[in-house]
Amino acid sequence: MENKVGAVMVVGGGIAGIQASLDLAESGYYVYLVESSPAIGGVMAQLDKTFPTNDCAMCIVSPKLVEAGRHLNIGILTATDVEGISGEPGNFTVRLRKHARFVDTAKCTGCGDCATVCPIIRPDEFNALLSTRKAIYKRYPQAIPNAFAIEKRGEAPCRNACPIEQRAMGYVALIRDKRFAEAYRTIKEDNPFPSVCGRVCNHRCEEACTRNELGSEPVNIMHLKRFVTDWAFAHPEEIQKVYAAGVQKALAAGGAGKKVAIVGAGPAGLTAADDLIRKGCPVTVFEAQPAPGGMMRVGIPEYRMPYDLLQREIDEIISRGVELKLNHPVEDVTGLLKDFDAVFVAAGAHLGIKLPIPGNDLPEVRIATDFLREVSLTGSSDVQSKIAGKRVLVIGGGNVAVDAAMSSVRMGAGWVGMSCLESREKMPAHDWEVRDAQDEGIDVYPSRSFKEVTSHDGHVTGVRTVDVNFRGFIDGRPDFDEIPGTETVIPCDLVIFAIGQKPDLTLLNNKVETVRGRTVAVDKDTLATSVPGIFAGGDVVTGTTFVVDAIAAGHKAARAIEAYFTQEDKETRIWPPVLESCEKLPEAKLDPDQAKQSMEAASQAPRFVPEKREAQVRKRDFSEVEASLTEEEVIEAANRCLECGICSECLQCVFACLAGAINHDDREKMVDIQVGAVILTPGFKTVEGNIRPEFGYGVYPNVVTSLEFERMLSASGPYAGVVQRPSDAGHPRKIAFIQCVGSRDTSCGQDYCSSVCCMYATKEAIIAKEHAGFVEPTIFYMDIRAYGKGFDAYYERAKSEYGVRFVRCMVSRVRENFKTKNLVVAYLDEEGNILEEEFDLVVLSVGLVPSREAVEMAKRIGVEVDVHGFCKTKPFEPTSTSKPGVYVCGVFQGPKDIPETVSQASGAVAEAAGLIASARGSLAVKKTYPDELDVAAEEPRIGVFVCHCGINIGGVINVPEVKEYARSLPQVAYVDENLYTCSQDTQEKIKTAVRENNLNRVIVASCSPRTHEPMFRETMREIGLNKYLFDMANIRDQCSWVHMQQKEEATAKAKGLVRMAVANVSLMRPLHEQPVAVVQRGLVVGGGLAGLTAAWNLAQQGWQVCLVEKEDRLGGSLWDLHYNLEGDDVQAALRELIARVTGHPAIEVILSALVTDFSGVKGNFTTGLLVAPAMYHRKIEHGIVILTTGAQESKPTEYLYGEDARVLTQLEIEGRLARTAEDMAALKQVVMIQCVGSRDTERPYCSRTCCSMAVKNALKLKALNPACEIYLLYRDMRTYGLMESYYTRARKAGIIFARYEPEEKPRVINEAGTMTVTFSDLVLREQRVLKPDLLVLAAATIPRDNRELASLLKVSRTAEGFFLEAHMKLRPVDFASDGIYLAGAGHGPKLISETISQASAAAARAGTILSKEKLLAGGVVAVVEGDRCAACLTCVRVCPYEVPVINAQGEAEIDIIKCKGCGSCVAECPARAIDLLHFRDSQLVAKSRALIGMA
Amino acid sequence: MREVSYYPGCSLHGTAREYDESFRGVAKLLDIGLHELEGWTCCGASSAHSLDEELARALAGRNLALARRAGRELLVPCVACYSRFKTTATQEQEEASMPEGALAISYALDYFCREEFRKEITGKLVKSLAGLKVVCYYGCLGVRPPKLTGVKQYEHPVHMDRLLGGLGCEMIPWSYKTDCCGAGLMMTRTDVVQKLVGRLAAMAREADADVIVTGCPLCQANLDTRQDGSEEAIGRAIPVLYFTELLGLALGHQEVKKWLGRHIIDPAPVLSYRGLL
Repeated sequence: MENKVGAVMVVGGGIAGIQASLDLAESGYYVYLVESSPAIGGVMAQLDKTFPTNDCAMCIVSPKLVEAGRHLNIGILTATDVEGISGEPGNFTVRLRKHARFVDTAKCTGCGDCATVCPIIRPDEFNALLSTRKAIYKRYPQAIPNAFAIEKRGEAPCRNACPIEQRAMGYVALIRDKRFAEAYRTIKEDNPFPSVCGRVCNHRCEEACTRNELGSEPVNIMHLKRFVTDWAFAHPEEIQKVYAAGVQKALAAGGAGKKVAIVGAGPAGLTAADDLIRKGCPVTVFEAQPAPGGMMRVGIPEYRMPYDLLQREIDEIISRGVELKLNHPVEDVTGLLKDFDAVFVAAGAHLGIKLPIPGNDLPEVRIATDFLREVSLTGSSDVQSKIAGKRVLVIGGGNVAVDAAMSSVRMGAGWVGMSCLESREKMPAHDWEVRDAQDEGIDVYPSRSFKEVTSHDGHVTGVRTVDVNFRGFIDGRPDFDEIPGTETVIPCDLVIFAIGQKPDLTLLNNKVETVRGRTVAVDKDTLATSVPGIFAGGDVVTGTTFVVDAIAAGHKAARAIEAYFTQEDKETRIWPPVLESCEKLPEAKLDPDQAKQSMEAASQAPRFVPEKREAQVRKRDFSEVEASLTEEEVIEAANRCLECGICSECLQCVFACLAGAINHDDREKMVDIQVGAVILTPGFKTVEGNIRPEFGYGVYPNVVTSLEFERMLSASGPYAGVVQRPSDAGHPRKIAFIQCVGSRDTSCGQDYCSSVCCMYATKEAIIAKEHAGFVEPTIFYMDIRAYGKGFDAYYERAKSEYGVRFVRCMVSRVRENFKTKNLVVAYLDEEGNILEEEFDLVVLSVGLVPSREAVEMAKRIGVEVDVHGFCKTKPFEPTSTSKPGVYVCGVFQGPKDIPETVSQASGAVAEAAGLIASARGSLAVKKTYPDELDVAAEEPRIGVFVCHCGINIGGVINVPEVKEYARSLPQVAYVDENLYTCSQDTQEKIKTAVRENNLNRVIVASCSPRTHEPMFRETMREIGLNKYLFDMANIRDQCSWVHMQQKEEATAKAKGLVRMAVANVSLMRPLHEQPVAVVQRGLVVGGGLAGLTAAWNLAQQGWQVCLVEKEDRLGGSLWDLHYNLEGDDVQAALRELIARVTGHPAIEVILSALVTDFSGVKGNFTTGLLVAPAMYHRKIEHGIVILTTGAQESKPTEYLYGEDARVLTQLEIEGRLARTAEDMAALKQVVMIQCVGSRDTERPYCSRTCCSMAVKNALKLKALNPACEIYLLYRDMRTYGLMESYYTRARKAGIIFARYEPEEKPRVINEAGTMTVTFSDLVLREQRVLKPDLLVLAAATIPRDNRELASLLKVSRTAEGFFLEAHMKLRPVDFASDGIYLAGAGHGPKLISETISQASAAAARAGTILSKEKLLAGGVVAVVEGDRCAACLTCVRVCPYEVPVINAQGEAEIDIIKCKGCGSCVAECPARAIDLLHFRDSQLVAKSRALIGMA
Repeated sequence: MREVSYYPGCSLHGTAREYDESFRGVAKLLDIGLHELEGWTCCGASSAHSLDEELARALAGRNLALARRAGRELLVPCVACYSRFKTTATQEQEEASMPEGALAISYALDYFCREEFRKEITGKLVKSLAGLKVVCYYGCLGVRPPKLTGVKQYEHPVHMDRLLGGLGCEMIPWSYKTDCCGAGLMMTRTDVVQKLVGRLAAMAREADADVIVTGCPLCQANLDTRQDGSEEAIGRAIPVLYFTELLGLALGHQEVKKWLGRHIIDPAPVLSYRGLL
């Protein structure tokens, strides 16, 4: 028992999870609230209104979200899934998979600047895909945590394939929006030489492009890059603007100040230089050539790579302070270590190779690298003279050979040829390159071996070749056969060898290890050579490769050198240094569906082919051959991107986020957490709209699901609350709701009732009607299942007040009018006519299913689910899963509405808390604050902190001006402005400012007190100021956001708001809350199932309990039930429960007792009892009370009940079935009549349990005697939820269900001893006359007498006498008066399992009070000025919590412990005798005066 | 050259000769070798299956045996035959008297709607049918029951739309693609049939269609002959074509006019109006 863990994990952040978390955290347990999406709130946050009160769903859930988000003892883990659970009840280890969110929720302030700049548009799941959001998004505006998340599918293949991981998708995405300057910045993040890579790269990105796999051609990634760099050079000022506007990416600076020498100013060397200088290392680059750029400058001819562009990119690097020493060959690299801390050798591979054949030393035999260098460096004229008119033969078949040949052409050679070992198809140069060469008149001689360079008089005359069949290289040696008799001489005057280059390694001076003397030997991860401090990379290590590989080497070397510097200072010096690298994201792969969608969404244009200058023209000069794509082409080409990665990693969010919250290197993590219990609340999904394809969802635009319609109704939805048709944005007049789509439908495997659709459809119909009076809603249904509290009245109101039309039928199909897109609904009416009716919009009331993810999770952790995927539970243990210690609640347990979800959540809490009660408080965080400073007597010294909120406020309002204005206001002693006033470091700033300036009042001018006031008040308490000496001016939501376009006026308004806050705060006084000791004992009134369960749960949680029952035995109405639908023995279970309760040491049972008086407040009540038979009085002190007084079956007054012995109620027949089964088995015909005394004018409510009870008893009769004919006459069969299957079973068993209309009830008469039941059969359209042996009436359930009790405790009841909860949706077991709870049938008729859930819930809610030793009361409360009170009773009547009383002095008295500070009495008091502290009249007057500028 | 067995059934040898002819014509242009099943007999569709289960099975089973012996995929242009064959073959499989996949049976429309043909047809297009407004009529047995036909979008099929869209036709989305045409009551309850057909024709007219296209000889015959029910329909009857006829037209087959000449409602005027004849 001692190893129990005082923490609970709640899995699922919907309303159930939130409620469970709050109850647990308030009861002294630490809670981990795990949610797989980026925000809590679940489906309820998506709803528009809730039935039957039409409350705004968001308005009522949002405070709970905020409370959960701020609670010290709730740790919210979003984007997290449960992987597995090990251990035992009380001590589990839960393994969590924390998905990468890419945004640090601790830093993110939710300002949204990132989403503004994000170029990726995604469908918005929250709006049921009816609108869009960005790839970086907040699930909804009120989301908790108030933080963004990035949606990524993985690393885009284009980036993955690139050696420098260039974020190609990023700049492509920005190009689509014409954001070229930002695209340039994205490119430059990875690549200092984009002009080069936009031209001469071998673009592995394009080979990796997903389009290739889909039978299309890749996006022109390289051409797009070229366009952007060209554009950037043409628009330097715009580039500057972009860099100036955003955040500068901070580079990790390790070893700043250490000097680095770089040998070689090629792409590798300069890239490393660029990275290192930006990290603060002085860099000197030694270059042997007279110009920087390496092979980019001396190897690539200018017609492919204009040198001025290259030079500009080099200049940019040099301008950062790199020292460049040209014409400076290094002879011994190790020598550099004397003056430098590290050396990077990136000298390239410039040594050419000649074939070892006779004549290779003739003066006209050249090497391509030398030749190209000469051409590029010395300019054409000098070289031209040597070549003009000559015949040039280039030996080699690669890119360099083509470059040499085409350069020769441009030098004015008379004839140029190329010859190589490879066949034409296998030539290493690209095919298009060779074709370009041929276009320029160059002859190509493939498949040749070279015998000698022929000469005459020491001058070249030609090259003797022989034809070969070349098969490739084996171990670096060519493998071919010569073809005899094919020897020939290709005549020429000049031979250029272009058969490869190698590094010149003399600079190593034999002190650095090499690979067989060819290249420098390095560690491949760090590029470290054998000599500590010396690194090498680029061609000098790899031999000739591509520019992009050299750039990659440069980046790698810079990282390694930085690591070397950092690690060098440590005691153990490491060589090679150890690199910390971020794990790569897996490559983003599109599945066939995604691929199809992406292909359809992307531009259908083919790949663009840039123009090349005409061969005959271009061969005359060195101007660029290939043209750039046009702007229009570039945008279209970018639109071809399939967005494989979803997030494009363009980094614009990083540049925009002033809070530095974005981390693209975030990765999925596994975390183990210890908890004592687990509560599963993963919720549900709605079924797919196309589950019944005949309704045309997905085919006809104007057929929508109910969840979509819910969003359409919502003011925060895609259409801003205007109900409109998706097809044409027209306002629909006729709207059809089709019920039971994916519910009660065995054809699609959904044979259960989803429980909520009847009501939500009714609600949606009403709300649509409220939105636009002309709407004519029609609901097509099978049975209206308005079984919940107040539901039937709501349904009746929908019909009578709102004119919602209800049509009982099954819709057979929906067709579309081709022209109007109206929908023709075909259905069979009750008379059997086939009808068709046209509607503007059809809403499918889709059913609820457990999500696939939830079912998979359940399987992973060993929790059993039923055939539908709902978690298996037992009627007497409705929140226990098959795995001990793991509990369940909400729709995952079975379809249910919000109140039942909420109460079941609390019920699960009671179970979980009972399990780990011994560890209560062990992990709960308690905060202690410094003693409060007494500033009451001081003059106000106000500090005003004005917030920029990133650019949310600062972008509109002139914050410095507002700040200075605040300084001018009276009593303001200090002003400041902050980027984000809510950030952690700013709290410290505020504290320091308060301390140093002796401030005693604080104002924050920023956002909404709804979300942020508690946090700032916390800061006040932490520094010892009373939290009520604080005020906020909402200059964001109510100013900058709504006056975005009127900056000056907004600034003026902000000043006004600050002025008002100053006026208000200077009048504020410290308020103190009073501690009240809590009596840790609970009182439960009523000893039925609910009372027993509540008492048991309280005791299990560790509290003393007093269980009071009026009768002389426990058990209440449950003794009348014998079995349930599932077949359990109810009496046995009850006996077991009573034994448990009476045997519990903490529970005192007092039978035959009546409550006679009641006083006190929450935490501290006193109740008086009168106990029979001795009739003595007893006083009980207790902290909470739970009322479980129950209900009973009414005695019918119709259908011969009480007159004829053959007429029984359902309870009565149940008793007989249990006791005298053999008599019952003899019955030949039984008629049951439903709704006897329910759903009529006297009792306009549904008794909820009678339909299932009738089915239960009918099935029992059938089981006893299958020949017994049973007729069940009903109005609507309300076997909701999973009970539907028993209704199905009953029909299959041959029980006849016949519906009757309330206007035409069955008639029962006794004719000379024969009982006759006459009713009109609506299917057969005829009167039926039956003569049953027995008539069974489903009598209404009515509350037990509770009037006196209610008046003693001052709790409310409904018109029908049921207890009235504080709030139908979210406080289903609380009374409006604190500390008093309700459960069981006294609240309304309910099933056993529902009663148990609710009773446990009440116990859990009670635990939130009992777990505290003291309660704080007071603060913002109403106070009476006794002298002015006229005892008019206005306040007594108006108070919703029944707090004010007239005391002995004849004055109103308000108990501060009970007062909730709502202010209703203050507003109503005619004598103005009441004031609300913190919102006193004087403050409001001062604020108003400040507003209009009066002093 | 693809080689398939061909089961024309009674319709294509009788009332639906233009279907047979156009089918063969198009097959030839697409290099499909049609081998009419030697010795084929009645499929049992018209009445046998509702009268005698044994007989129905035997009739279909005999033809299936012939097809298996021929060893080629079996193409069936009539949905009634197709449904009988599929039903019987499925029964045989379920009873394990025949191994799964013993014989590939394809409804001719489905066969041509395969991706490979759609691509091939695009490549061989002689005449684009641009401007022709078409509603597709799939009827019942070509798509249902989905367990038998394997058609996923059985309520809103689009495969024929895609095929004909590839020819350039303007495909009109239509809600009546799978509504009943009443062919089952063709002889016994002409009143019902006229109501159903009249409605289909009216809805096609409302959608501004030039022609209704189908792949079922029973639907075609029914729609072609029973449109004259309502007064306002007179003179506005909509021609009902086989998809193979449009394929032939688009692929430039020489005998298109001959096929079209066999229709009750003459399609020539509207095709000429659209510049296709």
